[in-house]
Amino acid sequence: PVLPEGWSAEKDFKAVGELTHATDRNIEPVGPHFLAHARRKRHKRTFSEDDRI
Amino acid sequence: MSEEESPATRVAIGISFGNSYSSIAYTTEDGKAAVIANEEGDRQIPSILSYVEGEEFQGTQAKAQLVRNPKNTVAYFRDFLGQDFKSIDPTPCHQSAHPLQHDSTIAFKIQDTAEDTENIVTVSEITTRHLRRLRNSGTDYLGKAVNAAVITVPTNFSDAQKESLKKAAKDADIEVLQFIHEPVAALLAYDARPDAKIADKIVVVADLGGIRSDVAVIASRGGMYSILATAHDYDVSGTQLDQVLMDHFSKEFIKKHKSGGDPRESDRALAKLKLESEAVKKSLSIGSSANFSVESLSNGLDFTSTINRTRYELLASKIFAAFTRLVLHAVEKANLDPLDITEIILAGGSAHTPRIASSIVSSFPASTAVLAPSTSPTAINPSELAARGAAIQASLIQEFESEDIEQSTHPMVTVTPHLARAIGILCISGDESSGVFRALVEAETAVPVRRTAIVATPREGGDVLIKICEGRREIKVTKSTPKAKDKKGTVEEDDDSEDDYDSEEEEDEVREKTWKVEKVLAEAALRGLKKGAKVEVQVNVGHDLAVTCHVREVGGKGGVRGGWQAPGVANGSA
Repeated sequence: PVLPEGWSAEKDFKAVGELTHATDRNIEPVGPHFLAHARRKRHKRTFSEDDRI
Repeated sequence: MSEEESPATRVAIGISFGNSYSSIAYTTEDGKAAVIANEEGDRQIPSILSYVEGEEFQGTQAKAQLVRNPKNTVAYFRDFLGQDFKSIDPTPCHQSAHPLQHDSTIAFKIQDTAEDTENIVTVSEITTRHLRRLRNSGTDYLGKAVNAAVITVPTNFSDAQKESLKKAAKDADIEVLQFIHEPVAALLAYDARPDAKIADKIVVVADLGGIRSDVAVIASRGGMYSILATAHDYDVSGTQLDQVLMDHFSKEFIKKHKSGGDPRESDRALAKLKLESEAVKKSLSIGSSANFSVESLSNGLDFTSTINRTRYELLASKIFAAFTRLVLHAVEKANLDPLDITEIILAGGSAHTPRIASSIVSSFPASTAVLAPSTSPTAINPSELAARGAAIQASLIQEFESEDIEQSTHPMVTVTPHLARAIGILCISGDESSGVFRALVEAETAVPVRRTAIVATPREGGDVLIKICEGRREIKVTKSTPKAKDKKGTVEEDDDSEDDYDSEEEEDEVREKTWKVEKVLAEAALRGLKKGAKVEVQVNVGHDLAVTCHVREVGGKGGVRGGWQAPGVANGSA
């Protein structure tokens, strides 16, 4: 959408809400993508840190 | 622990261990999964053991013994493992050795040695013997001693059952690297194909087996799978279809031979009838007609007959409908609509039946892809899915230390928050009620997650506002009922059910998926965009549900970054 007149925010970004509470579920520990997830989680890495490796 | 194989010397296969059939698979050098045939040339190996004068038979040979030697033949035992005698249903074992209570476990009384005495053999020992044979078949084929495996289990297999399967496998010199769920293995078998695209989708896996059917609804998000709902049915299964044929041919036999008696009343005739009916059923999945032929079926009378597929489908229509109901029921259990389902994977032996696939196709919208041999040219053999999935998983983890596998599959890792609603951006209009929501991260996606999308900007560029919102899927029903009314007047005398049926036929319901914007999360402005510019939006949801996003013009530099914190944390903006 087009920016309305007079809209302004710090650094042009305005946070309005937050996420709805999530539901806890079990991921199936199967497949290459899960293993990558488990590796990130166990080493407490973020996506971009993981990309660099 | 000390006798565990070190990862370097591990030779791992995938085992699908079923009540009716088992199969084994490995991954080739180029990473493709292939099912191994045993010495008899079978890829689907009947999970049956039989003893004749001390000699052990398994698979198809043991299955043939159900006629002559039922008392010393053990079948349908997988679901007895780790179970209490009172909780099992021994019905499938009526035509073979009966399960008995033995201490806290279940056992069979069979004559498994050359001596003329009956021995008590526990279900665990039977399983060990069965797995040992599977392992040997794998070893013979691969030329390397198989010593590890990933084994598939149903989603409702308890820890006690897994534990007892693990022990039975250990006694057969197989180190169980991991138990994986059958439906997830089937999904992995599809996703691991080189031409498969990993996407965000909802997949239903319907595993239609011999003595049970299991359906799972799985959210597949970026190649990670979360089970949303499962349904199990022990009545809707392949043996029900066999029963239809057994009844049909028995009636034919009685009609033809007045003196023959009912073959269902003699154990031996019944066993012959059952074996041949299963074979006929399998032929009808491939051809349009099949021959039924049993020598000396009852009272020394031979019986031959034929049946075509149309007739069979008519006889079994109720059971086919039950399969479809089971699938729809699982979708309902997941609080989803058939419109939400992207793909249905049919697995298990009964999934070869063309009619089951076509009736599922007709109860789901055209957007749902049904993967079965009769509905999709790229479908994988439904009987092989679980074993292939297990083989792929085995090849992924066989290099790992056992401890690593254990830690990775620990609930600390697997239990993760899943987004309750989709996160996306509002297109076209800034107003929530008239704008079009485009989902970026679907609901039920596990966090942390990162998604990037490219959106077109409106009109001539200039200054643009990107609104990031939370959305919810809704089903919009548009009814168009022009003729229903006057018809109803004329059929008043009909009973209610007919009336309902009529009106259902007339009312042309159009159901579609729409998005409703629930709340706006953030707004970002991009100024001075070029004409026809595209905007890249990246959303990064952290493990604590804190979000950062990055919005920039494609090809441009900088852009706008921002984020907000997790729910319940004070100080919303970053």
